[in-house]
Amino acid sequence: MGSKASAEPARRPPRPVKIVIAGGFGVGKTTTVGAISEIRPLTTEAAMTSVAAAMDDAADVPAKTRTTVALDFGCITIDETLKLYLFGTPGQDRFDFMWHDISRGALGALVIVDARRVDACYPAVDYFERIGLPFVVGVNLFNGHLDVDLTELRWALAVGDEVPLITFDAREKLSVRDALLAVLRRTRERARARAAEHATG
Amino acid sequence: MRPYLRDGPMVPALPADAASLLRPYLQTSGRVEAADDELEIEAQVVTSAYGLNSFGRLAFEHRDIVALCATTMSVAEVAARLALHIGVAKVLVADLAALGCLVVERPDPEPADDLDMIERVIRGLEGIR
Repeated sequence: MGSKASAEPARRPPRPVKIVIAGGFGVGKTTTVGAISEIRPLTTEAAMTSVAAAMDDAADVPAKTRTTVALDFGCITIDETLKLYLFGTPGQDRFDFMWHDISRGALGALVIVDARRVDACYPAVDYFERIGLPFVVGVNLFNGHLDVDLTELRWALAVGDEVPLITFDAREKLSVRDALLAVLRRTRERARARAAEHATG
Repeated sequence: MRPYLRDGPMVPALPADAASLLRPYLQTSGRVEAADDELEIEAQVVTSAYGLNSFGRLAFEHRDIVALCATTMSVAEVAARLALHIGVAKVLVADLAALGCLVVERPDPEPADDLDMIERVIRGLEGIR
C-alpha cells in the first residue's frame, strides 16, 4: 500500500498503543475511559444493533443483545508520534470472543472491580491469565471508601502476588491516570523480567 | 475464590452463538480475514491525496470513509462514527488501503515487551495533570 507515490499522506499517522479496560457490567468502564479520554468516549453499540437488525432475516434482534455488545473507547495523545487508546470490553463472558480483537497487541489491562459484586470480574481475570496479558485489578471506589479488605479480595480473585491490587475512583481523571500507570508499571516489570530471562537463558 | 479454580484451571468455552455475529460480513461480500491478519481496531487511518482525488470514482460505501479520514483516526472510530460493525469497518478500510486511498499505521505486534515504548507511554501519562 505504500508503493504508490501518490498515496503518501501529508503527515504520518501516530503509532497506536492500547490498554484494555475490563470488568463486569456496570463497574464503571465507560466512566473510567471518559474521565481521561480527550475525545468523548465512542461506542460501536448502536452500529452493531443497526447492522445486525438490517441483516437479520427475522429482524427481531432482542434488546438484550443491543446493550451487551457495546465497545467503548477513548484516546490520549502521548506525543506527536504516539497515541494511547483505551478500549472497554463488554463485561459478559458470552462475548468472550470479542476480547481477542480488543486484547491482541495491548500493553496491558485494567480489570475494574465493584467490591459488592466481585465475581463479575472473573471472566476478565480468567481471560487475561489465559492469554498472558499483564493486568492490574482496580477496585472502583464508587462512594469514596473501600467496603472490602484487599487481602480478602486477593484471596477471592486467586491472583498471584505479581498482580497489583489497587483502589481508584473512576470519576477522577488523576485517579484513572494513576490506575493506568499501575498497569504500565506492571507491564514494564514483566518486560524487564522477560528481557533478563532472555539475556541469561 | 473463583469457585471453578478449586477443581484446577478451567478455560471458559467460546460461546455457541459466536457465529451469528458473522452476519454483518454480508456487507463485505462475505469476506472475513483470518483473525490475526486482520487490521487492528486501533490502527490509525488517514486519507491520502490519491484517495481525495479518487473520491468520485469510489464505491458508495467507500466514500464516507475517505471523507471522514481526512482527519486521522482509528479503525474503531471509523466504525463508531459511520455506525458500522467493527468487522465491516476493518474490511472496508483494508480495501481502501490496498487501493492507495488510505494510509494505515498499524501497531507493533508485541508492544508489551517493548521497554522503550512502555517508558514513553509512562512518561506521557505522568505529564497529565
